[in-house]
Amino acid sequence: STSSVLSTEKDTSTASKDSTTEGASKRQEGTAETPKQKLLEIIGNMKVEVSYRKKLQQLKASEKKRQAMNQLEGLDSKGPQRTTEDIQRGKPLNPDLVKAASAVASSLPLDKKQTESELLAQLRRHEETTDKQKKGETINIRNVISEMTVKKQSPAQRGARISSRISLELDEDGQRIRPERFSSQSFDSRSLKVGKRLNIFTKASTEPEHSLKTVSSPTIWDLEFAKEVAAITAQPPRNGFEEMIQWTKEGILWEFPIDNEVGMDDDAEFHEHIFLEKHLEGFPKEGPIRHFMELVICGLSKNPYLSVKQKIEHIEWFEKYFEEKKEFLQEI
Amino acid sequence: MAAAALCWALRAARQALPSPCSGQVRGHYVDWRMLRDVKRRKLAYEYADERLRINAIRKNSILPKELQEVADKEIAALPRDSCPVRIHNRCVLTSRPRGLRRRWRLSRIVFRHFADHAQMSGVQRAMW
Repeated sequence: STSSVLSTEKDTSTASKDSTTEGASKRQEGTAETPKQKLLEIIGNMKVEVSYRKKLQQLKASEKKRQAMNQLEGLDSKGPQRTTEDIQRGKPLNPDLVKAASAVASSLPLDKKQTESELLAQLRRHEETTDKQKKGETINIRNVISEMTVKKQSPAQRGARISSRISLELDEDGQRIRPERFSSQSFDSRSLKVGKRLNIFTKASTEPEHSLKTVSSPTIWDLEFAKEVAAITAQPPRNGFEEMIQWTKEGILWEFPIDNEVGMDDDAEFHEHIFLEKHLEGFPKEGPIRHFMELVICGLSKNPYLSVKQKIEHIEWFEKYFEEKKEFLQEI
Repeated sequence: MAAAALCWALRAARQALPSPCSGQVRGHYVDWRMLRDVKRRKLAYEYADERLRINAIRKNSILPKELQEVADKEIAALPRDSCPVRIHNRCVLTSRPRGLRRRWRLSRIVFRHFADHAQMSGVQRAMW
């Protein structure tokens, strides 16, 4: 039952994730409880809710409480960075707000837990803003109100998401391929990487990975694996737009609006294209060769298709050619 | 047996393995004549600059004639397939040397086939 409770709770929006992360870092303060039990406590705390008016009233009353908590936590040997965050979590929400919250949630026609959690998140944000106000920073309340959005989840979508998580269809390789698609689709409306981390799972130590990478260059097996992963993750395009995106990445389709100078990074000014006489220093100053080269330069200066480098190469080729034929020319 | 051997010999093979990990990649051009045309195009591209410059020396009245004669010999010494004149447009799909539509690089038969199956964008049967 605890797992089902957790799964239903995880269905809530990212706003709830904020509060859970805040509560989870509370755990970091040194409680010996398991993460799951702490999560349950947090969820229990989340049910405490406030109406916006009462929030402000409560805030003024709770400022003093918070200052006291601040002093207490400052005495504890915590880092100064976490004090502001810890304050909000350390402060217990008023039990009077429970009734108000439940009344509000029941009055609204939408999902109860979701609204409760969102209101809780709003409370925390408002606490932050009032903190800032105390410190002297300016705050626009309109911004805070505009942030409040109510998300509607169709029951069919929710059912699909839950069923996708529960499904255990395994491929031959032991990898779930079908649920991958679902998960990628179900999280379209909200991204996975937004919001504070819950820190429920301990991070595997990353140091040996770095040391291994420096030691050996990628082996053939690594290349194969990387190619396999790329082939699997590169799903075929779902619609014409994705197909066009893929083509643009490959270079088959141009980028719009069409830039006529794509691939042509000629940074040279016009005078470098036209006045090419300075490259004629290697040639004799009189004679048919000079006459010939001046004609060459005249033609090059009128050529808009070559880059300056190519023009210089052209002239240098002639220089080299005439150098080789110098003996022959002197015989004449 | 003999026929099979002939067939194998006649197959135009172009093998290329860009990376060791990918599967074997083999492309066949439609026939050997197309292959030769492809070689000529590649060489012409490589030697285009040199030919242009040597020709510039040859085809002018300012430089001495002896120099131009030397340039003549030089250009004749370049590989024969490097001159662009030897390139002959062929149908991209059937390698047909005649009856080409230049815009689509296709022979008339293939062009008609695709146009009738509505696979050519913007091409319609004429009626007026």
